[in-house]
Amino acid sequence: MSPRIRVALLALSALILLPCAAQVIAGLPAFGSTIAQYGARINAITPEARHVANMVSAINFDLRGLDTLGEEFMLLAAITGTVVLLRGRRGEGMTGRAMHRPGRAVIPRSEATVLACRIAGPLTAVFGLYVVVHATVTPGGGFQGGVILASGTLLIYLGEGYTGWRDAIRSHWLDVLEGGGALLFALCGLVPMLTGAAFMQNVLPLGTFRDLFSGGLMLVENLGVAMAVTGGFTQLFLEFMEETREAEEPDEPGEESA
Amino acid sequence: MTFVPATLLPLTVAIPMVFCAVLLATAHLLPSRVPDILALLAALAVAILSAVIAVQAADKPLVYWFGGWEPRDGVHLGIGFSVDAASGWIAAFIGLLYALTFVFAWGFFDRTHGHFHILMLLFLAAMVGFCFTRDMFNLFVWFEVMSVAAFALTAYHLAESSLAGAINFTVVNSLAGFLMLGGIGLIYAQTGTLDFDGIAAAVAQGGRSPVVAGAFCLVAAALMIKGAIVPFQFWLADAHAVAPSPVSVIFSGSMVSLGLFGLAKVSAVVFGGSDQVQGALPALLIGLGSVTALLGGWMALLQRHLKRMLAFSTISHAGIMLTGLGALSAGGTGGMLVYVVGHGLVKGALFMIAGILLATQASIDEIALRGLGRRIWPAGIAMALAGFLLCGLPLGALDQGTRLVQGALSQQGHGIALAATAIGAALTGAAVLRAAGRIFLGLGPDPGDEAGAPSADEREKANRPLWLMLAPCCILLAVDIVLPPDLIAHALPRAVSAFTHRPETGPLGEGPGWLPWFSVAAALAGAGYGLFRKRLPPVLVRPVHVTQSAPTRALEILHSGLIGDYAAWLAVGVAVIAAVLAMV
Repeated sequence: MSPRIRVALLALSALILLPCAAQVIAGLPAFGSTIAQYGARINAITPEARHVANMVSAINFDLRGLDTLGEEFMLLAAITGTVVLLRGRRGEGMTGRAMHRPGRAVIPRSEATVLACRIAGPLTAVFGLYVVVHATVTPGGGFQGGVILASGTLLIYLGEGYTGWRDAIRSHWLDVLEGGGALLFALCGLVPMLTGAAFMQNVLPLGTFRDLFSGGLMLVENLGVAMAVTGGFTQLFLEFMEETREAEEPDEPGEESA
Repeated sequence: MTFVPATLLPLTVAIPMVFCAVLLATAHLLPSRVPDILALLAALAVAILSAVIAVQAADKPLVYWFGGWEPRDGVHLGIGFSVDAASGWIAAFIGLLYALTFVFAWGFFDRTHGHFHILMLLFLAAMVGFCFTRDMFNLFVWFEVMSVAAFALTAYHLAESSLAGAINFTVVNSLAGFLMLGGIGLIYAQTGTLDFDGIAAAVAQGGRSPVVAGAFCLVAAALMIKGAIVPFQFWLADAHAVAPSPVSVIFSGSMVSLGLFGLAKVSAVVFGGSDQVQGALPALLIGLGSVTALLGGWMALLQRHLKRMLAFSTISHAGIMLTGLGALSAGGTGGMLVYVVGHGLVKGALFMIAGILLATQASIDEIALRGLGRRIWPAGIAMALAGFLLCGLPLGALDQGTRLVQGALSQQGHGIALAATAIGAALTGAAVLRAAGRIFLGLGPDPGDEAGAPSADEREKANRPLWLMLAPCCILLAVDIVLPPDLIAHALPRAVSAFTHRPETGPLGEGPGWLPWFSVAAALAGAGYGLFRKRLPPVLVRPVHVTQSAPTRALEILHSGLIGDYAAWLAVGVAVIAAVLAMV
């Protein structure tokens, strides 16, 4: 089809869809007019039932924990898929150097950069951990904290260079972290079943409202998510960084990927 | 038995997930065959558990509330699974299909850190969750997990063609995800709940509302995109043709029909109380289904790339399923459910045969393979049998589903749709039988120069003995044939009533007995025409040639492989659904 026909088709369907969409939008409840019964009920129940101040965490890890478990494994699928796509053709060598653009000078890293990264790196990691463990009290949680932790590892690349980064980050360890975190989350669902409770029922002591130790099982689930997200995102960074690796030999397409 | 079967429900999803997480964490330590074994065990466990659950759910659907959040004062707080017998058996079938696929793919994906198995197990968990859930947003989560796993699996070969197919697949199905999420947002805004029953009650109370219709339009479009219904079907042939054969088995065998399964559930349960939606469904589903059945069958007949042919055949059969759904009767829905299983078994077997040809003969081109299949003649017998079953040989589950669908259509006087189901099946059967005749018997004219396949060189690893690849294929066909029709016919009315939340009706009517035979005869005639065209008198050949070449060329132009075209057609499809809804 030529682009013109394509646009004509789109315009034709817009002719039907736009009035329908307008009608639907007009039929929606007015903005802010009602708070859904579901939300109101959850807000009323959760602080008392789960001793949790951060309602988002309560929904994500308790009331609708199964959705989050599904999302967690979706992330795992997305990262595994990315690894398949990127690593499959490139292979898995470890010894390579970063690629250098011919003709472009390699400027040595300034000491200021190294120092800034060495200071900011551990601080970022601590902040990430803080966000993870305070999931039930303040905004944040395993996913957000995990992403912060993972981005902390990027400072290794910035501060120590490609070789330092490759020495520090091992793909297998990231797999263990990612898979282990996901496993921990899944086990948080299964272990309560051993006690006769439902899947992912919050059977741990709930702790004190507004305290770090509140929310019971949610804390463990958060830890699992944090591990999986840290491992997964760092794995992603690694795969993208490896795209810059100098090719050692002509690649052998098809061998790695069956 | 002392245990409460409902407590097993979460395991069907959790087991593949746990296996997948363990595989990811330990794959670099495991000996090479262990991922194969673990994945096989997980799939078998899912199949057996689902079957146990299905048996237990025969009388009354099992309901399970995650996290112990049962509804309080009529407000659904948490996420629930609700399993009726039909959903349970579909999940059991999916588990079996995966188990046999893992056998088929034994050792196929070496040295990949178990990535193939990780993605496949997630794919399995998502499908089972999709079958069992009773929560709209949870349905979306499983829909998306399915998509994400499928995108990566499609591109697994990393060849140029597979990346292109995977991109088309990814873009179209991501659009489906957006549509579905938009629809769920609308229905939640209107009803204030995500639970199927909660929404159904609110919809039934609310009367006619454009928001409900809009929500249905978006959700139905998303599920039809998954189900490859015209005009959303374009991605399917691109993706199925290039995915590794074991993945194509799963795609065609279960993923596509699962989209329609979801549509059946959503339209019967969630939107069951909306007169507008129920009024629009027959025209919409039967119309689109008939067109899909014919177009898919016609396109299948035009292909020489075997997997692409099978992919179009899947589109055709998806159309037949949709017409069954559109009959809005117990017979139609029941027939469609049986059809999902029967079609999955037969189509899975056919994709395995395509995989066997790719592995042993290093080609997937029908013309180039002419006569080359003689050495692996057992595969030829299986392919011929599958071809006959596909076009309607009165034997097995696929035939039972076909006859129930046709019965429902003929009861309501949908003559055109009835003809479309028979002709669509005949066309795809003709395509498969023609290919079987050419490849395994060496029929048809000597191709000469034409033997060079226009597509890129394709092959799959030939590291498995023939029997290992053929055994799961034969088991699939055997299961389709030995599924007891009496038991199914006996259990189906009750299962359908539980599935659609409607009162039970009497025994389900079947279509005219001669119709499947007509399809078989037409398929044989079509296959014969394709093979011996050059020897037929010109009086017969010329009219066919003259009438079919223009529409055929138009169809081929439509399937351009350009993602912009596909998106434009997608918009047209959504507009069609919206227009039909607006006219009711």
